[in-house]
Amino acid sequence: MHRYPRWPIHLALLTVSFFMLVPFYWVLKTSLTGENIFGYPPSLWPKDPHLFFYVDVWYFIPFARYFLNSVIVSVLAVLANLVFNALAGYALTKDFRGKGTVLLLFLSCMMIPFQATIIPAYLITGQLGLLNSYVGLALPLFSTIVCIFVFKASFEAVPRSLIDAAKIDGLAEWQIVLRIMLPLSKSAVATNVILAFIWSWNNFLWPLIITRDADLQTLPLGLARFLSYHEDTTGALYAFCVLVLMPGILLFLLAQKQFIQGLTSGATKG
Amino acid sequence: MSADDRPEAAHARPRLKNPAGEGEGSLWRRLLLNRFVLVPGAIVVAGLVWNGYVSLHNGGLIEGRVTDASGRPVAGAEVVVLVQNVTTFSEKGRARTGPDGVFLITDNPSHHVQIFAETPSGRSERRDLRLWFRGQNTVLDQPLVLSPAAG
Repeated sequence: MHRYPRWPIHLALLTVSFFMLVPFYWVLKTSLTGENIFGYPPSLWPKDPHLFFYVDVWYFIPFARYFLNSVIVSVLAVLANLVFNALAGYALTKDFRGKGTVLLLFLSCMMIPFQATIIPAYLITGQLGLLNSYVGLALPLFSTIVCIFVFKASFEAVPRSLIDAAKIDGLAEWQIVLRIMLPLSKSAVATNVILAFIWSWNNFLWPLIITRDADLQTLPLGLARFLSYHEDTTGALYAFCVLVLMPGILLFLLAQKQFIQGLTSGATKG
Repeated sequence: MSADDRPEAAHARPRLKNPAGEGEGSLWRRLLLNRFVLVPGAIVVAGLVWNGYVSLHNGGLIEGRVTDASGRPVAGAEVVVLVQNVTTFSEKGRARTGPDGVFLITDNPSHHVQIFAETPSGRSERRDLRLWFRGQNTVLDQPLVLSPAAG
């Protein structure tokens, strides 16, 4: 087997990683020092770092309330994503009349930005009486087409014989999804969890539109509010950004193996 | 190879009923002792411990000493506490030093205060005091030094 030298690839990856990680490092460094980000020459290493800007964030705004709201909304979105996307993904593994049209419709809907459908989404949410509520905040993210396709690809990799055996044993379709498909599609589940969590966690426009109570605001709205109150406190602002980013990064680090498997599971099928 | 050794059976094993109850302990161990439970659990435990510590040390006490430039304690000096109010500091309270130059502030509500001492003849510099939580009990490690020229 011909062996290529690996150092050029590693060098390229290190270079790309460096440029991608520098902004994160800069945010972290500024959150620890509060230094002027426009200062010249910029200092690479933090001078007199401390964590007191994080304490400022905790007390300047109701951070715990925003955090709890974001957690509730994200958990709702994740649970709904798992249920609806798994069912839709399983349905799309079946052969039925109009399946091609449905797939085409799904793919075309992926190209429509959320901003274009936000008015009908608002009206529907209003008709359901869910404005200014946790369920209403999570509603547009209850199902996402990308995640449906992730489940579809993963379910299609499950041997047909297993499903037939389950049917012979008398399992209903929902039991097949619950007891056969999902346990064998852990990477797809992890991908769904991470994507739904991050999309919900970072969502700004929809919560901005449908929340009226300050007590229902999520962290991205809190960040905007914080910026309007304390625009001269660079360190605290960046500390807020780090605190908002932390849960998503933690979740990704916990489930990165399954996440990568889930995204690539459909790519290597024969 | 027995039926239980097949890879697909290994995947499905936790879901199947086990009449003898064998392996239930390992199932629970596997469900609980994994990083998805341990990491959030550790965070929750750390949060609880921290909140316990805070509740035991948030009496709002600030203790310190006031001295003159030569290091002698100053009795009767007035110590002023300013608390952070959005982007400025406003006066919150005052305390007076005893014969040994020691003062005790008992009602600090903030996590970021400034403190200085003054007498009719002089004033100390403002000391910026950042605390880890609101009302953290604190003892100043350096005394407030009155300077006749300051203020």
